Amino acid sequence: MTDTGLTRGTTGAPLDPKAEKDWFELAVAAALPMAIALLALFFYIKAPVFMTVNNWIAISVQVSALMTISIPFALLLMAGKIDLSVGSTLALCGVVAGLSFEPLGITGAVLLTLAVGTVVGMINGVFVSSLGMSPIIVTLGTLTLIRGLAQWLAPNPIFGFPEEFLVIGYERVLGLPILTWIMLAVIGLGVGVMALLPIGPQIVALGVNKRAAFLVGLRVKAIGIGLYAATGFFVAVAALMSISRINSAPAGTLGIGVELSVLTAVLLGGIPFTGGKGSVLRVVLGVWLLGMLSNGLILMNVPTELSLMTTGLVLIVAAALDVLRARRS
Amino acid sequence: MTTPARLEVKDLRKSYGSVVVLKGVDLAVEAGQVLAFLGANGAGKSTLLNCVSGAQDADTGDILVQNASLRGLNPRQVQDQGVAIIYQHFQVFEGLSVAENIFLGHEIRRGGRVDRRAQNRQARALLERLGVDDIDPRSDLGSLGVGERKVVEIARALRLKPKFLILDEPTASLSDKEAKALHEVIRQAVARDGIGVIYVTHFLDEIHKIADQVTILRDGRILWTRPVAEVSIADMTDAISPDALMTGLDKTPFQADGPEVVWMDDLTTGFVGPISVALHPGEVLGIYGLMGAGRTELLECLSGAAAQSGGTLKIDGTTRKFRSPREAQEQGVALVASDRKEQSLFASFSAVENLLVPHMGRSPMPRMLRNFNRESLAFERAARRLNIQPPNPRLQGQRFSGGNAQKIMVSRWLIDGAGVKLLLLDEPTQGVDIGARHELYEALAEVKRKGTTIIVASSDATEICLLADKVMVLGRGQQVALIDNPHDEELLIELAHRAEHGAEHGTQQDVPVGETEMGAMQ
Repeated sequence: MTDTGLTRGTTGAPLDPKAEKDWFELAVAAALPMAIALLALFFYIKAPVFMTVNNWIAISVQVSALMTISIPFALLLMAGKIDLSVGSTLALCGVVAGLSFEPLGITGAVLLTLAVGTVVGMINGVFVSSLGMSPIIVTLGTLTLIRGLAQWLAPNPIFGFPEEFLVIGYERVLGLPILTWIMLAVIGLGVGVMALLPIGPQIVALGVNKRAAFLVGLRVKAIGIGLYAATGFFVAVAALMSISRINSAPAGTLGIGVELSVLTAVLLGGIPFTGGKGSVLRVVLGVWLLGMLSNGLILMNVPTELSLMTTGLVLIVAAALDVLRARRS
Repeated sequence: MTTPARLEVKDLRKSYGSVVVLKGVDLAVEAGQVLAFLGANGAGKSTLLNCVSGAQDADTGDILVQNASLRGLNPRQVQDQGVAIIYQHFQVFEGLSVAENIFLGHEIRRGGRVDRRAQNRQARALLERLGVDDIDPRSDLGSLGVGERKVVEIARALRLKPKFLILDEPTASLSDKEAKALHEVIRQAVARDGIGVIYVTHFLDEIHKIADQVTILRDGRILWTRPVAEVSIADMTDAISPDALMTGLDKTPFQADGPEVVWMDDLTTGFVGPISVALHPGEVLGIYGLMGAGRTELLECLSGAAAQSGGTLKIDGTTRKFRSPREAQEQGVALVASDRKEQSLFASFSAVENLLVPHMGRSPMPRMLRNFNRESLAFERAARRLNIQPPNPRLQGQRFSGGNAQKIMVSRWLIDGAGVKLLLLDEPTQGVDIGARHELYEALAEVKRKGTTIIVASSDATEICLLADKVMVLGRGQQVALIDNPHDEELLIELAHRAEHGAEHGTQQDVPVGETEMGAMQ
């Protein structure tokens, strides 16, 4: 798969003589970008302020943390694994950062937070890849365990972080918020890894056929642990992004339900629950669709309940499209 | 009871996009007859079967059972019309008992609950009707061998009392003995219940044992249909793929020169062993044995996929104990696993990625950044070398025919700079048509000339005799015999069978050493 385009591993190349490259296939491929375009148009008509540069920058800030987690999460899912503990890990990392600013200074606190995230990911990875346990069970366990740990470390919400740290949350560089830049960097990294590095196809190979991946000599365990560690690392990054924006780290509520938003975004991005294919750029679109949806509905003064229902509906429609496509082939 | 029932296919056409697969197929089979249905990979056999079974709908044409059309029916409805199909890939479920598998979806109920006792009883009756009395309906399907699983599938199909039974390569993963038993089962079904059978196979030597008529499909058209008595194997080979010459490779007795590269001494793994053999560069060792004799286990051990439990393995004079396939590959030992779909092919990957996945990020491919030009160049070379059709690097692995997919699997270890010293092949021509088979054999001959040692395990004695300089016969995990320059298939088959039974009433010494060509005995 030498293309860096939107269809990595999913459909064949245009040259492919046997593939049914008919209008249906194209329509499914175009569904996500089209949905975004139509939705943007709809919001623009209903609330013209939606279509302003500032609002789009605001959306990017709102989705920045979600995006930062979704990209490594997408790779994990492509490899046929899953991490349900991302929300709790986010809380733990936020709490660790909040508690360590005073004793360690900003640099120390940031490094410690990143280390904690990475280690949590590695622990998940060892249970799943080395011991061969079910990813859902392991990370469902750590989801609860780590949330408890975070609350135990910080029974009361921590707030009031150093000003030098908070600039991450509001400062702009070259016209864009720092948070947006971080998000763009993570996207670039994800796209680059999958498109240019030899590890890209190896990750997908794990999701396509684990036994074959082992037999052809891929480092199945190392790749698995590495993916979990990377997810943990970027969850820590997202935690720092989040707490810098809200200037507090409430152990009980920080990152609640993030695993579900991430999963929704990634599935919207066309990665099947069973892994084995997917494209980073499509996941970016999936995250963006979610962000746009919540932003636009707020601008239209739609109540939160309705907004939640819409999100759920969008996911089901996307999944239905995928099933339809699978049926046809 | 007037005229015998007939399953008829009339002018069936089917295309996918611009690719025309079936170009007007006419076919007929009568009740009580076995029609062997042959064709190279990609000739359209699977498509035709799918159209008949209701899995796909044809574009035009008709499929008739006693003048009732099957067109547009779904698989379940086709079943109800009395046409059962048994696919090449097993559709039985481990964890359920034999009887539960047979009655799956049609359970016998009593008062709302499944009546296991009745199911077991009827399953036994069904199996006995097929002449099989050594399968316990209560046993877990997981404990059955592949041959027995096929029998269970047939029993399940027959339970619905079909008029026609379609078998897609039923003997593809069976040993000769299991195949023979299966033929007997099919004959029983035909003789007792007057079933009409369409029998798809790649094994031409089966045809005269089982079929009444032979039909050849080539390029989406029926080439001819003839009574089996009027055709020879050569006729069929020629018809299926006119380019394939079964004259065999020019095989000269292997000349050992220089030191051995591969050396096994009392090697054991799981229930297999002790195995002792030494191989020279360019020597081909064939491993023959029945299903479950330990062929796959031995290859898995050598390739690092399974643990070595004892003895010594030396590669190039150094003792090795591989803990993973990767470790083995680093020492130049690579495996082409059996069961392509499950164990080696990445279905959704492009051809070029399928070829190069094992080499991503390590020599001879670049370590850091992928080099797409080099990748397509490597595929081009492989495609030319083994005649991979179509030579399209972007085509998904699952879209290649079995033979061409297998060529890609083997090519993985033949790319320049792969540095393979010992190539292990497990059932390398399973589900591969004659033309592709021959191309694979030729590629292996070239590998051999270049000094790579090859170990090939197969349940096809003909293949072993064609390829191997030395044959090891396995029986119940034991090394039964080591034969130089094998050419006597019957001997191999006999040895393998005796080994299975010999273990019951004696030791492996019971095996006769009647032939002059017998080498070292274990």
